[in-house]
Amino acid sequence: MQASRARLFKEYKEVQREKTADPDIQLVCDDSNIFKWTALVKGPSETPYDGGVFQLAFSVPEQYPLQPPQVRFLTKIFHPNVHFKTGEICLDILKNAWSPAWTLQSVCRAIIALMAHPEADSPLNCDSGNLLRSGDIRGYQSMARMYTRLAAMPKKG
Amino acid sequence: MVSDSIPKVSIPIASSNPKDFAKKKRANRSAKLKQSKLDARREQYLSQVKNKGLKEEPNTGGTHGSAKNVANERERLIEKLQIKPIGEEDNEGSLNHYSDFDSPTSHTSSVLGGNDSGTNFTGSSRGSSSSSSSGGCCSGSVSEEDEEAEDDCLDDWEAVADALAATDKKQEQQNPSLDSHFERNENMAHMSSRQEVSERQGSGIDRSKQECNDRGLTPRPPLSCRAWRPDDTFRPSGLPNLSKQHSFPMNSERHCRRDSVWGCKTLATPMLCPICCEDLDYTDTSFLPCSCGFRLCLFCHKKILEEDGRCPGCRKQYNQEAVEREATIDGGRLTIRLARSCSMISRS
Repeated sequence: MQASRARLFKEYKEVQREKTADPDIQLVCDDSNIFKWTALVKGPSETPYDGGVFQLAFSVPEQYPLQPPQVRFLTKIFHPNVHFKTGEICLDILKNAWSPAWTLQSVCRAIIALMAHPEADSPLNCDSGNLLRSGDIRGYQSMARMYTRLAAMPKKG
Repeated sequence: MVSDSIPKVSIPIASSNPKDFAKKKRANRSAKLKQSKLDARREQYLSQVKNKGLKEEPNTGGTHGSAKNVANERERLIEKLQIKPIGEEDNEGSLNHYSDFDSPTSHTSSVLGGNDSGTNFTGSSRGSSSSSSSGGCCSGSVSEEDEEAEDDCLDDWEAVADALAATDKKQEQQNPSLDSHFERNENMAHMSSRQEVSERQGSGIDRSKQECNDRGLTPRPPLSCRAWRPDDTFRPSGLPNLSKQHSFPMNSERHCRRDSVWGCKTLATPMLCPICCEDLDYTDTSFLPCSCGFRLCLFCHKKILEEDGRCPGCRKQYNQEAVEREATIDGGRLTIRLARSCSMISRS
């Protein structure tokens, strides 16, 4: 409990100090609860998510950093490793590959990397996974771009 | 001696006092009165002696070579005696008043009067009251006193008289030499008693000093006015040690210095545990649990061993044995361990 607080507080200070260090990630702590964080990540370029801003919700357990934080997409995203309805993310570092040396910032980077490199073999979004596994890259990309424009981009007009 | 006699005396006062109300207060008051009375008497006596000395000096200065020195010494001692705390001034004023009341019946007042060779009894008392600065005149002290105190003292008149008699008796018993001095002084001629006068003064000063000590006033060191030094051989062991008092700030200074040293040392190595963000102490900084060089504090290492037991830096399984062995470990075991961890990942 105390260790997790200290650790999160240090991460918070780190984020405040390096606000402009990583322009793709904006990590914000909840005003009243240091165990609740939200992040805004930019979709990586040369992907169907380019131009979109995706919101992530972090729920940090009290055993953090020994236990990984629970992260899910608040913004709808068409990705084979993200549950389309719940936003749940299938990422090894958020499960058993978690290391206490990781931080919330590094989790955000890992999620950006996951967006750029979808893993179709362990899909949460079966439609997306099936498109990729069947080799329909264009179908996947168009679907993903459509949802990015619908959900992750500011509405025009 | 004087103060010793007071508690003994105050008990018979309290018991002999027929009025039950404010018995304690009265007892205290009478004790204080007695005390101040004795002071006043001593002062009176000393001033008389002083007057005498001043009177006698021109007459006898030529005959005795040491007369001037004696007189000077006497004056100095008298000055010392007359330096009294301001808080006692009121008492002195009131006690003169009391002693004047007492004088017809009191035992000691007659002794005091008698000690000035009887001839100038009234004159000496008048002279003393005028000469002593703190003595004040009767009327002045009466007018200055508040009525309540006066009433009290009038009510306690008998008790005070009893107490005075008792103290004087006691004093007589305890200071036979002093009284003998007085008596002898009465009989002796003024010229021949110079030595004894100085002696008596010495004893009087001793008494006053003792009183001062007993009353909790600042005691005058007998040899010099300086305070004890810490390395003084005659320094009482009961006095608080100054070096001990200084020990706290000195310690804190040392602490600060040591902290700075630690700061310098910890600048070289990582200061915080990357897991819990607590400071790494010396044991932690010398603790190298994994060959990958990832350092962490012992608490976090233990917690990790309790959970999955993998190094946060390289995600290899921590070896339970010494770190040095891990470097010389055979590749086979290492790969087996890695394979196991990989299998765990794939299974989930």
